[in-house]
Amino acid sequence: MQKILLVEDNEMNRDMLSRRLQRRGYCVVTAEDGEKGLSLARSEAPDLILMDISLPVMDGWEVTRLLKANLSTRHIPIIALTAHAMVSDRQKAIEAGCDEYDTKPVDFGRLSEKIENLILEKKLS
Amino acid sequence: MILQNLSIKRKLTLITMLTSSMALILSSASFLIYDLVSFRHLLTQDLMTQAEIIGYNSAGAMEFKDEPAATATLSALTAKEDIVTAVLYRPDGKIFAYYFRGSAALPPYLPSRLQGKGYLFERGYLEVFHDVTLNGERVGTLFLQSDMRQWSMRARRYAGILIIFVLVSGLFAFFVSSKLQGLISNPILHLEDTMRMVSANKNYAVRAVKSYGDEIGRLIDGFNTMLAEIQQRDTALQSTNGELKTRTQELEEEIFHRKQTQEELLNAKHAAEEANRAKSTFLANMSHELRTPLNAIIGYSEMLEEETRDSGKIENVQDLRKIQSAGKHLLSLINDVLDLSKIEAGKMVLHLETFEVSQVIEEMVTTLQPAAAKNGNSIHVHLDDNVNMMRADITKVRQILFNLLSNACKFTDHGTVSVNVEQIKVEDRDWIQFQVRDNGIGISAKQKENLFQEFAQADASIARRYGGTGLGLAITHRFVQLMRGHIWVESEVGQGAAFTVRLPAQVVSETADPAPSESAGKVPAVSAETKTNMETILVIDDDPSVRDLMSRFLTRLDFHVVAAANGEEGIRLAKQIHPLLITLDVVMPECDGWTVLNRLKSDSKLAKIPVIMVTVVDNEAMGLDLGASNYLIKPVDRERLAVLVEKHRVSRSSTITDDNPVPLSYVVDRQADGKTARTRVSRTRRN
Repeated sequence: MQKILLVEDNEMNRDMLSRRLQRRGYCVVTAEDGEKGLSLARSEAPDLILMDISLPVMDGWEVTRLLKANLSTRHIPIIALTAHAMVSDRQKAIEAGCDEYDTKPVDFGRLSEKIENLILEKKLS
Repeated sequence: MILQNLSIKRKLTLITMLTSSMALILSSASFLIYDLVSFRHLLTQDLMTQAEIIGYNSAGAMEFKDEPAATATLSALTAKEDIVTAVLYRPDGKIFAYYFRGSAALPPYLPSRLQGKGYLFERGYLEVFHDVTLNGERVGTLFLQSDMRQWSMRARRYAGILIIFVLVSGLFAFFVSSKLQGLISNPILHLEDTMRMVSANKNYAVRAVKSYGDEIGRLIDGFNTMLAEIQQRDTALQSTNGELKTRTQELEEEIFHRKQTQEELLNAKHAAEEANRAKSTFLANMSHELRTPLNAIIGYSEMLEEETRDSGKIENVQDLRKIQSAGKHLLSLINDVLDLSKIEAGKMVLHLETFEVSQVIEEMVTTLQPAAAKNGNSIHVHLDDNVNMMRADITKVRQILFNLLSNACKFTDHGTVSVNVEQIKVEDRDWIQFQVRDNGIGISAKQKENLFQEFAQADASIARRYGGTGLGLAITHRFVQLMRGHIWVESEVGQGAAFTVRLPAQVVSETADPAPSESAGKVPAVSAETKTNMETILVIDDDPSVRDLMSRFLTRLDFHVVAAANGEEGIRLAKQIHPLLITLDVVMPECDGWTVLNRLKSDSKLAKIPVIMVTVVDNEAMGLDLGASNYLIKPVDRERLAVLVEKHRVSRSSTITDDNPVPLSYVVDRQADGKTARTRVSRTRRN
């Protein structure tokens, strides 16, 4: 079973996304702020991380940068989720090292497609 | 001449004196000469009378040869001072008797021969000869000699008087002329003084005083008139100067005020910009705040729908779908408002790329098929055979078409929505023209007036009946403007509507190249690109064997190839050579292909260069999303690569050709599969 780490501060979104992912057959670990997300990413070694960007304590950009700077976690694909539909956000996500990018509210079909692709890609490489 | 440099006073005095003295001397001399001449004549007459008397008295003595008597007669001449010699000659010429003044001896001079009766002037003496007769017979000759003592004395006296007279009258003339020359010289000197004063003090109010009505008076008049004129001009000049000064001062003040105003305006502008930034930030934040709960609403309703369907409670599925569709509607509203605010804040940037028009049309028709089906409409597409590639912001073109098509579907019931695309040439420029025509409710002339305004739906009742924000057409309009295109509508109530959008086949980004924008129509849209190196392809790959293979292959296709071994170098070379296109690897150390692509597309000068991703990473969506034109997976299909690079070469030289000369139309079939509502769009020949 693939393990997905969902870092999201909004309780409803976290609950909704994790339940939908579980329905798709993923094992979901959740964190409600950046710091917890960072430690869970290290301890749980998930197959993929869904990262909300505006997070308390430590924002998603920072967490991504730290994860991508670390040898043990840099291989984990990260999909950034943001409500800012600005071009600069997409640039920022890519620059921070995110592998994918999606805007909220998520189109669940599209998002799960991206998740599948990234996990497959990771397996192949 | 010394005389000429004398003062006018001296000149006048000199002239007067010379003139009067000359006149005096001339007149006195003539008078003197006349007097002396007549006096001499008188003396001559007197002497001749003397001679006659003496001759008469001595005639007897001569006859009787009485010499002593004759001598006595002659000695009577002593009384006459000026007679110096008297001699009586006998008829034979011998001296009979004589008289000499002062001595008894003979004078040194006597006439050499005797003459007849008469007189003559000889050596300063007057000499008279007289015949002595007795009873009509000549008995001898009398000779008298006068030294004219009286005459010379008179002459000397006269000369002395003349000299004294001339001197006295000269003095008098000097005195008088000295007094009278002032009549002429004084006004002239006064004039001179006045002139000097005027030129020294620059005081044009001074006037020369006119003394007499003569030429000098007139000269002074003329001078005064001239001065008056100068004074008038001077006054005028000074007042003009004063005015000028005042005006300059006013101008300076005005400049100062303007500067102040400018500063205030600048401050106001900064404040407005600040406010605008605040607004944009606020909108971005608001949209975030709005999207988060919406995320939950849509997500939960979708999840519930799935669960409900799985548990077999079909009756609730419809309601959950309504929640979803309401949520999605709200989301589109938020997106529209965000778009509009971005446009208004000037933050909407064009991401230009070259794409196939038919592909976009296909996509949009597919996307809108459900909306068309909802009202029982069918969509017909006609794509002219000359329509091929265009260069524009594909996302915005999509949105434009989406808005027009969804409007057409929304306002048409069981009708036809037709999409017509053609490439036309207007004012020497190539345009892609999209026309979306429906046979729905149409638009009245009054509604057309503010059709493209924000929040202005044709009618308030329409909002209630058909929904929508009224932002769709406003955004469409702004997008078209952003790409320097045109949009217009033809419609009549009940007859349907036809929206036409005309976009340049080669859109030029405002931020990238503002130059051709002002002279729209005159400059071909491709001009900015034709300047750059047409035939160069930049290959960015960390693998030397790939670089080598690509270089050899592309060189064979008549391209000049420049290769870069890493992302940084690639970006630097792209800036330097502006290649026709770039092939880009994804997996590279340090700066990976995604980063390179992102940086290329965010640089307004490089964003236009098409990028073909050549990689082992299978993530086409990501590549295209980031702005890549094409995505090739290694090992590279050479034929496909050749087609792609050739296509870019062709599109750049703007000689767009189509290998399929027959007009095409798209027939859209809706599949029965309701769950995914997938549509198949096939390209078929149209007769």
